[in-house]
Amino acid sequence: MLQRVTSLRIALAQIAPRLGALEANLERHRALLDEARERGADLVVFPELGLTGYQLQDLAAEVAMRLDDPRLADLAASTRGLSAVISFVEESADHRLFIAAGLFEDGQLRHVHRKLFLPTYGLFDERRFFAQGDSLRAVPSRLGPGIGIGICEDFWHLSLPQLLALDGAQILINVSSSPGRDLAATNEVGLGTATSWRTLMRTYAQLTTSFVVFCNRVGVDESISFWGGSEVIAPSGQALFSAPFYDEGMYVVEIALQDVRRERIGLPLLRDERLELQVRELTRIIAERAGMATDSNADADAEAGFDLAPLRGPVRVPDLGEGPR
Amino acid sequence: MTDEPFELPAELAIDTDVARRVIAEFIRSQLRQAGFEHTVVGLSGGIDSALVAYLVAEAIGPERLHAVLMPYKASSPASRADAETVVAALGCSSELVEITAMVDGYFGSDGTPGAAGREAGPASDLRRGNFAARMRMAVLYDRSVVRAGLVVGTGNKTETLIGYTTLFGDSACAFNPIGDLYKSQVRQLAVAMGVPDAIVRKAPTADLWPGQTDEMEGGFTYPILDRLLFWRIDKRQSDDEMVALGFDPAMVERVDRMVAGAEFKRQVPPIAKLGPRTAGVDYLYPRRRPGSARV
Repeated sequence: MLQRVTSLRIALAQIAPRLGALEANLERHRALLDEARERGADLVVFPELGLTGYQLQDLAAEVAMRLDDPRLADLAASTRGLSAVISFVEESADHRLFIAAGLFEDGQLRHVHRKLFLPTYGLFDERRFFAQGDSLRAVPSRLGPGIGIGICEDFWHLSLPQLLALDGAQILINVSSSPGRDLAATNEVGLGTATSWRTLMRTYAQLTTSFVVFCNRVGVDESISFWGGSEVIAPSGQALFSAPFYDEGMYVVEIALQDVRRERIGLPLLRDERLELQVRELTRIIAERAGMATDSNADADAEAGFDLAPLRGPVRVPDLGEGPR
Repeated sequence: MTDEPFELPAELAIDTDVARRVIAEFIRSQLRQAGFEHTVVGLSGGIDSALVAYLVAEAIGPERLHAVLMPYKASSPASRADAETVVAALGCSSELVEITAMVDGYFGSDGTPGAAGREAGPASDLRRGNFAARMRMAVLYDRSVVRAGLVVGTGNKTETLIGYTTLFGDSACAFNPIGDLYKSQVRQLAVAMGVPDAIVRKAPTADLWPGQTDEMEGGFTYPILDRLLFWRIDKRQSDDEMVALGFDPAMVERVDRMVAGAEFKRQVPPIAKLGPRTAGVDYLYPRRRPGSARV
């Protein structure tokens, strides 16, 4: 089979959005779209909540936009001749707030991904302020290959990159506001967060035999600093480009789309995926958790849906000592 | 004996280049978001405030840093000399505000009662130390108006965790660039930034009376305390795991108590919840949001 050699130029807009300053951030996005077009980019990727900043708390409702908001239509008009992934707070008609990333193509908002996994632990408090999305779709693109979008924490769940790839995505895009932490000198790049992300992105690219595009913001919201380090990873798991940490900038990276075919022919992991096996086993686990099937890992006399059985009858309390167990 | 200026436990070593980068941007962002260009730092002559002065100078330039030296009559002259060394090395502006009259004016001196009255004295070292720290805070906040600058905090993570701070005194600030660094990490970063060796090597002291040192007063050494706090708090180690790491259970228990007992110093005081929306409870905005900057 004859294959066209097709290259794609991806612009990573590694910016520091201004917290809560929607108009200023919209202006910045428009300017960068123009710059990317001039630099020959086909696809421009902006970070999570690039239009609003991350640490919004109660500001979320004040910067939210409905999908029929004229400001989004105006922004879409700035994407003529381009594809762009842009992230904002979306308000649904029934007034739920989502962390969203839109795929804008050639003047139109073509697809919206709502963040599926909202971290609410450690320094994160997203479930307090946002609703979680309920669907995941790989979408066709004017660029040729299918596109799959995830937002930050979405890619800390194994199923998500896999589902996107199985659904037809060949370019997986993660837009992030990842706060840097764990400055230990023992880390590969001096920052624990970066080490984790870099490991994950390479693994996903290899396991899904897809391109992975990671765009992480920089700058400071309140106490937290975002580390940047945006990357483009080839389907082999090899990094094609790694942006500097903490620097603002727009970085244009060229990829060869035929690398996906080469990798998938040579390493047919997606071909060999056993979807029916996953569905069968997941169906069983769901039923067991709901107490509608026997859980072979639970105590024999545990109540349905529980894994432990209470102690029965007169028991002598063992001396377990002090401290957490 | 090695010639290392201090002992750095291996697990606490940080990448100082990354730390400098993050902190510099943090300082610039705090100022930009608050609408300020200048800073005010109280320089004691110790390593914490010296490091903060170096970090601020690196982030925004020494011309936007104003150092305030605030000795009490019992403060060591060597401390003041060390603070002056920092000022000279950085080339920032500075001023001297002796707080002796303020402290003695309250507690009295040489048998003459102060504003607190005759029944207030004689004051313990704790009272005098806390009062001096709060007078310094009052001076810094006054100078912050005169200089149109934000007060930069100088408390480190070790003292904040164990509560070796004065509430509304040395812990008061607009923002703190080193509050997540243990004392050992403060030393590591100070060396990387070229803080004078004499300041790095000398024993940390609250400088409330001659010869006082943190480590003598607390009955610990910083490398051990820092390691203990790191494993206990950052790495969530259990009692048994702490023993396995070689820590004395009695010291772990004592430090646990200090940390728990200082919780109130690290948090905004609770407000009785009465209305529909209450600051800090269910009225939650970023400190810096559109409209919050000084214009």
